[in-house]
Amino acid sequence: MSETLDTTTLEGAERDALIRLIITLADSKRLMGIRYSDWTLGAPSIETGVSTASMTQDEWGHARLLYAMLKQLDIDPSPVEHDRPGEEFGSIAALDHEREDWAGTVALMTLADGALSTVLHSFAEGSFEVARTRVPKMLAEEEYHASLGAAWFRRLATSEGEASGLLKAAAEDMLPGLLAWVGADDAAARAMVDAGVIGSADDRLVAFRDDVRDLVALVGVDIDAVEPAADWDEGRGRTSGRPDEEACERARGDRNRALLVE
Amino acid sequence: MKEFVYDVFTRKERGDRLQHVGYVDAFDDETAKVYAWTTYDEEKWFEMCVVKRTNVLPVNRTDGLFVAAQKAAHV
Repeated sequence: MSETLDTTTLEGAERDALIRLIITLADSKRLMGIRYSDWTLGAPSIETGVSTASMTQDEWGHARLLYAMLKQLDIDPSPVEHDRPGEEFGSIAALDHEREDWAGTVALMTLADGALSTVLHSFAEGSFEVARTRVPKMLAEEEYHASLGAAWFRRLATSEGEASGLLKAAAEDMLPGLLAWVGADDAAARAMVDAGVIGSADDRLVAFRDDVRDLVALVGVDIDAVEPAADWDEGRGRTSGRPDEEACERARGDRNRALLVE
Repeated sequence: MKEFVYDVFTRKERGDRLQHVGYVDAFDDETAKVYAWTTYDEEKWFEMCVVKRTNVLPVNRTDGLFVAAQKAAHV
């Protein structure tokens, strides 16, 4: 394990890089929760709907804990959570739009949530003290998400009918962006590696590919042949695009602004 | 999609009796565990386990849920 990072001495680009990392993780968790919540009614069974409701709560809890890490850098997380326009969100591109079918949501559950867990594992083993203490609990909860996602992925991949094709299309759609995000290797990402906050881009990519290789192979996708997306936005630490406006309104809590309790 | 009934058992504290708290429908053991954990989450359980109903062997009854499960499994 790395030595503990002294956040009081962080300046300039290194401080900005840590802010970017925290925000991209927190925004992704919040959007992940929204995408799960889209299926609390309408999932294939009542039990699955209950599970997506539970996972929604998990993701929003994780987002809250991650935004709160900004306090370590003397940043008030409240405006970050509630006042930013959608074009400033750092959430991963796979979460920009609601998935139209259950197969797409299963792909999110395994691949997008899996990518978040890969980076969170790296974050938990790094030099940022609050990540070491807070992230392991998140990852323990994520084991249920991964387990449910993998079971559904195998089920749909081996089923007759259109489900397998939908799953393959969703995986092929989101994997390039996820690989670009997990394997981020721009100046800000390298600053975090140098500071011991996360592991190297290669290590993160190897871990992610190992986690999903067997699953995506079930729908004929070779994870080692998928190239990361090239449309990288260095400012936000994600690929191009932004979440749809309705999701941003929900993420910010626009409709409940008058009732906001901190 | 074929699903199975899994009965859910919990104990709140170490040393408590294991009690039956309900059931879930699931297509395999892994989903049954997740469904049980997310559905019966009203307590901070010390232990939870699930049993596929077809694996419960009735001892004295010739009717009821467990007998029906056995019959259905051998159709």
